[in-house]
Amino acid sequence: MKELEDFLTGRVWLKEFTPFPQSEIDQAILQGFVTRIPGITDKQECSRCLEKSVNLTSFYCEKCEGDCLYCRHCLKMGRISSCTELITWTAPSPRPLKTHSFQWSGHLTPSQNLASQQVIESLQINRSHLIYAVCGAGKTEVLFAPLYEALKTGKRICIAAPRTDVVLELSPRIRAIFTDTVIHTLYGGSPAEAGFAEIVIATTHQLYRFQNAFDLMIVDEADAFPYSMDPALKRAVMKAKKHDAPVIYVSATPSVQLIKGTPGRSEIFRRYHGQPLPVPRFDSLWNYKKRLRKNSIPKKLETWIRLRLSRREPFLLFLPTIELIEESIPLFKQLDAAIEAVHSKDPNRKEKVMGLRQGIVPGLVTSTILERGITVPNVQVAVIGADEEIFDAAALIQISGRSGEGHRTFQMGMLSFSIMELLGKWIEPKIR
Amino acid sequence: MQASWRSLFMNDLDEAVCAKCKAEFESITGNTCLYCDASGEGVCADCMYWEQTEYAGLIAKGRCLYRYNEGMQSYFHQYKFLQDVILSEVFAKEMNHALAKVDAVIVPIPMNPKKLKERTFAQVDSLLESARLPFHHFLIKNEDVQGTKSKMERMASSPLFHWNGETVPKKIILVDDLYTTGTTMRHAAKVLKDAGADEIELFCLIRG
Ligand SMILES: [Zn+2]
Ligand SMILES: [Zn+2]
Ligand SMILES: [Zn+2]
Repeated sequence: MKELEDFLTGRVWLKEFTPFPQSEIDQAILQGFVTRIPGITDKQECSRCLEKSVNLTSFYCEKCEGDCLYCRHCLKMGRISSCTELITWTAPSPRPLKTHSFQWSGHLTPSQNLASQQVIESLQINRSHLIYAVCGAGKTEVLFAPLYEALKTGKRICIAAPRTDVVLELSPRIRAIFTDTVIHTLYGGSPAEAGFAEIVIATTHQLYRFQNAFDLMIVDEADAFPYSMDPALKRAVMKAKKHDAPVIYVSATPSVQLIKGTPGRSEIFRRYHGQPLPVPRFDSLWNYKKRLRKNSIPKKLETWIRLRLSRREPFLLFLPTIELIEESIPLFKQLDAAIEAVHSKDPNRKEKVMGLRQGIVPGLVTSTILERGITVPNVQVAVIGADEEIFDAAALIQISGRSGEGHRTFQMGMLSFSIMELLGKWIEPKIR
Repeated sequence: MQASWRSLFMNDLDEAVCAKCKAEFESITGNTCLYCDASGEGVCADCMYWEQTEYAGLIAKGRCLYRYNEGMQSYFHQYKFLQDVILSEVFAKEMNHALAKVDAVIVPIPMNPKKLKERTFAQVDSLLESARLPFHHFLIKNEDVQGTKSKMERMASSPLFHWNGETVPKKIILVDDLYTTGTTMRHAAKVLKDAGADEIELFCLIRG
């Protein structure tokens, strides 16, 4: 029963699909330890992801012997319909305070340290806080001390990030510091982990499976896709935390709403290793789409790539569409056969990125989807078609944050046209 | 990140699948087996085997629409196992095109009634309904017999279906979602033939 309690505390789970025998669950329900929740509420909302009735799909159900609603939004976690039930632990028993260790010997820059202290102050008065920091400013390190403070007072913490690769990058760093803490890492297809997690590191999607669970919620890259796009994920953050639990948002490009709506705020505008964010160099690249489709690389771009190859500098080449990448990758491979294309659906994505880190792959051709996951020392970046919608200001700043780490040089640019418009895109968020 | 079928539909559930996703499905063309549309010249090895058993001569011919490639696998997984009922619409046009003018009564492969209640919908019936094709059931699926025998042995020894007692038409086209070993279809055809059918054809959405 202890294991069931650990599993179901703060969680909502499809009754038929838990890792526990049905008989044990039935008994816990009978004893009142476990509460059943209808899959679709009276108000015709999905109980797990809170999707509203207009977006639910109705069909003739053989189990209901009539109309039944199901939710397509969170379908991949097992279908929720009018005839399914979710379960949760009714009244979690208070957990005794335990000692956590804090194995971190790094030190913070003055601006990091100030931000860290400001976050701790916000937490002491239960106030939400925004860490507004450029890429490479060492946002994660700023969180370490506040995390430790929260653990010491027995708080259950969730760190949510928009995508799996961000979660996978974050998780080992947190685990290495809090060695006595039970930490679960959750993403689509993650292996099951035992015990009651004091820290949950999860993709935002996984938050659907929590309810009233966390005393502290940290939302990393709060600006990032898909969090900013999907109101359901915002609702998931609110649902997963306890009603009065504060949220710490971490963002390099927060929206005006987020800035205005969050009472506490810290800003870090210097890069962690003391270098300012690289300033992009703009260049024109006329008719690049036509040229690439006609099987030739524009001269300027070819020169840029050849320079990277001769200097053995790893590079990322961003193109605006997957189609264009697929069409042009044979051309790039003519310059060096080891150059690879990589996109979000690529099963070999991890290997290719590792290859870039290790110098086996000289360069990757990609679209915007990857830019947040990669940290490669001295990587050189070119954004082709930076005027395209897909490279919005947030994406461009993120991309520039990836370039030139650990090295003073960087390259950026290779635009097609409308430079003025583009400068607007760059400058606006910096002024704000 | 996998292709999301949700994004294909957005709010307009009547819309067909987007061209890009549809391009991932592979239609069956070229030389294929007379009975089951396996690739290759003449009758395939599996069907050759069936034609030497008590199930010989039951089937006039057979047809499948798509190969079971990666795109189809993810479609089928989402439709059948994640129970995304609305995906029955995806092949409505193609199914209708293939079967609307067929001069035979469409008989879907049924689900066991108990299992149907559990799974909430019958995949094959839903495909046909979405394609606006009339159909009629003459078969009842027997409950899976649990025991020490392997699944293959069980299927070989005990019948998978029985007749529901209604008068069976002379010309029948049996419809299923996925054709793999042919066991289901051969068993179904035998029951129908014994109940009075003359000519039986097979149709499957996917050839596994
Ligand atoms: Zn849902
Ligand atoms: Zn139902
Ligand atoms: Zn065959």
